[in-house]
Amino acid sequence: MTAHFVTLLDELRRRSLRMASQVEDLLYEACEVVFECNQDLALRVMRRDEEIDAAEVEVEAEVIRILALYQPVGVDLRLLCTILKVNSDLERVADCAVNIAERARHDEVQELARQIPELKQLGPFVRQILRDAIQAYSTSDTDGAYRVGEQDAAIDALHGEIVRWIVANADRSPESMRAQLDILSIAKNMERIADHATNIAEDVIFLSTGEIVRHQFRS
Amino acid sequence: MTSANTTKINAVPTPIPKGPTTRTALRPVEQPMNKPEAPPPAHVQAADFSIYYRTTAAVRNVTLDIPRGHVTAIIGPSGCGKSTFLRAINRMNDLIPGCRATGRLQLDDQNIYGPQIDVTALRRRVGMVFQKPNPFPKSIFDNVAYGPRIHGIRRRSDLADVVESSLTKAALWDEVRDRLSQNALGLSGGQQQRLCIARALAVEPELLLMDEPTSALDPMATDHIENLIAELRGTYTIIIVTHNMQQAARVSDLTAFLYVGELIEMNATSTIFTNPKELRTQDYITGRFG
Repeated sequence: MTAHFVTLLDELRRRSLRMASQVEDLLYEACEVVFECNQDLALRVMRRDEEIDAAEVEVEAEVIRILALYQPVGVDLRLLCTILKVNSDLERVADCAVNIAERARHDEVQELARQIPELKQLGPFVRQILRDAIQAYSTSDTDGAYRVGEQDAAIDALHGEIVRWIVANADRSPESMRAQLDILSIAKNMERIADHATNIAEDVIFLSTGEIVRHQFRS
Repeated sequence: MTSANTTKINAVPTPIPKGPTTRTALRPVEQPMNKPEAPPPAHVQAADFSIYYRTTAAVRNVTLDIPRGHVTAIIGPSGCGKSTFLRAINRMNDLIPGCRATGRLQLDDQNIYGPQIDVTALRRRVGMVFQKPNPFPKSIFDNVAYGPRIHGIRRRSDLADVVESSLTKAALWDEVRDRLSQNALGLSGGQQQRLCIARALAVEPELLLMDEPTSALDPMATDHIENLIAELRGTYTIIIVTHNMQQAARVSDLTAFLYVGELIEMNATSTIFTNPKELRTQDYITGRFG
């Protein structure tokens, strides 16, 4: 029975990592939409969100099934708790990516986005942080997870710079207002993705060490 | 559109590290389950305590403190010495030829294996409940009154008070109050086990030893006994040996893991079952061995 249980856990972990990879792809594509006029890509991001939602439900159901049937303890319990929490964070990252694609698909938004240097930095930075968090999750790399968490403050600072840029360059014409609000929303969603990546990193630390380190990376 | 820049996650996850890491940049959030507290006073203390069956060591150099008023579970695979250790606390092992103890085992400040010990008085302080319910072939009343009678209570009204009080503490009074004169062997298995607990409580012990007290019971009767353990917590020190790790997790405050006679780890039960420090403990509780 133990061998069967271990196999179930391994399969579940692989399923969770596949979902992580899908979410990472989705974010990459959403960030591309911000600077490229590509309606097809934007629609594709929105459609792929349904795949992520289905994967989330599938993983969650399997975690609940294993908890109910096997009542795991120790590292197995920590792994299942981690998978469940990471699952939720990944689904929210996907939602944020969809929000970014939705906001960015108008030409005037992309035109404005290209004028903000900090926004050009923020997208790749957030993608890198999510990639590192998923990598740490994949390899149970505690040190890598700490490095992810330590970058959250830099993301917040970049987000603040973008808000200041918009305020400093505010154009009150109705056509521009919409684009400016969209840029603020895009930046906020990127910043939220970094928060979710930090959550994943915290879960990796819990998985590896049993220590709960919530809310300590926040700037 | 390509997504070549994204990391492709290897489909085979690497193993989860089992030991603590050296990184201590962040302080873990204080968790009630792991929060170190001032240890409560020890009721039972073992120091370098061993038990031998002739030349074979069944318990090896065990050192631990069992706090007063708490429930302590002893877990471990068959033959690890957990029942032997439990029986040592009220000198039940004396009945086994060739059994001897070394080191120190104390109940409060009294050396259980000291030359001055009165074993009868010790067993009055330390009650025991066994795996299989073992009521005497007597009435329910006489089962519970047996101990107090031996200890000199003779008046029927006094005995009746003790019987009612003990059966009430054992959560059995309401079920048997109208048939105290009936033979105890007519009770169900779960009721018989609670009767045995009532019988143990009737001599007002400080400490209750429970050796697999529910392994012969169905889930409903097991639930009754576990609820009873929760009720008795605080009033009595309880040490329970169990093969059922979920039960240990449910009922105990502290858990000790024994393996081939040695104490591998003892800690708060919530810590043992979520984040054990020793790899052997983790492997045992997760079913990797044992």
